[in-house]
Amino acid sequence: MAKKRRKISAPEGVLEMTPMIDVCFQLLIYFVVTIHPVDVVTNLDVFRPAPDKSAPPSDKPPQMIRVGVLKDGYTLNDRVASTTELERKFQQFASVDASQTIMFTVSAYSTHGQLVKVLNLCSKYGLKSLSIVSASN
Amino acid sequence: MAKKARTLPDGELNMTPMIDIVFQLIIFFVVTADMANKANDTLVSMAMAPNGAVEEQQDPRTVTVDVDKKGKISIAKVDLSEGQLLTILNKARKESGQGTPVVIRGDEKAEHESIRRVMDICGKAGLWKLRFAALKEKA
Repeated sequence: MAKKRRKISAPEGVLEMTPMIDVCFQLLIYFVVTIHPVDVVTNLDVFRPAPDKSAPPSDKPPQMIRVGVLKDGYTLNDRVASTTELERKFQQFASVDASQTIMFTVSAYSTHGQLVKVLNLCSKYGLKSLSIVSASN
Repeated sequence: MAKKARTLPDGELNMTPMIDIVFQLIIFFVVTADMANKANDTLVSMAMAPNGAVEEQQDPRTVTVDVDKKGKISIAKVDLSEGQLLTILNKARKESGQGTPVVIRGDEKAEHESIRRVMDICGKAGLWKLRFAALKEKA
């Protein structure tokens, strides 16, 4: 005797949610795996003074705040200084006059990260007039 | 025995292909919109500068030069020699003027010597508006 097959169907007016949920999960997995968060980037402005060929050479350094970025640390007006000390001084300078120029003499063998570290400190205290001179040693 | 074609009840709209297409479009736009960010996605690991200012809108003339930890110079993932960089910067100055900003994205471990080479080239090209890119927030 042939069996009568009953047709399985969703009740009328009911939306089949299962495939939609499947697709949503697929998409969720896709986005979680592929999307990587973007870093927030900042730009630190510096000024690079052009060599003045007409000026006579002078042994005497100009009167300004001089920060040395060396391979193994920093100097402030030719005296070895730690980052904490530099930060304190920058804070002092900024409280007097934030527009004064700070000249960075950067050793060729220092890392770029060291320079960014001190520029970040200047940015913290609103010191904007920053000149960079590269030293060959 | 011939199979009976599945048909929808009269007046009912089949939403499935429409939803499929909408999802396909979403995926397409999400994937392609991220391409602009990926152009700057290089192997340069920048130093942290949490106190740096964030610009809402960058100058469209900006030229971004990458310097990796070995001192290799590149723009948008294309490695360049010093001569090629000079040519590009000269062209940028001619087209956009001396105020064209140059952003140097240096690796935190790169020696300053490599950064200096880029700064010297910028100077030769007559571009003095230099900026160092750093990370304000790491993702």
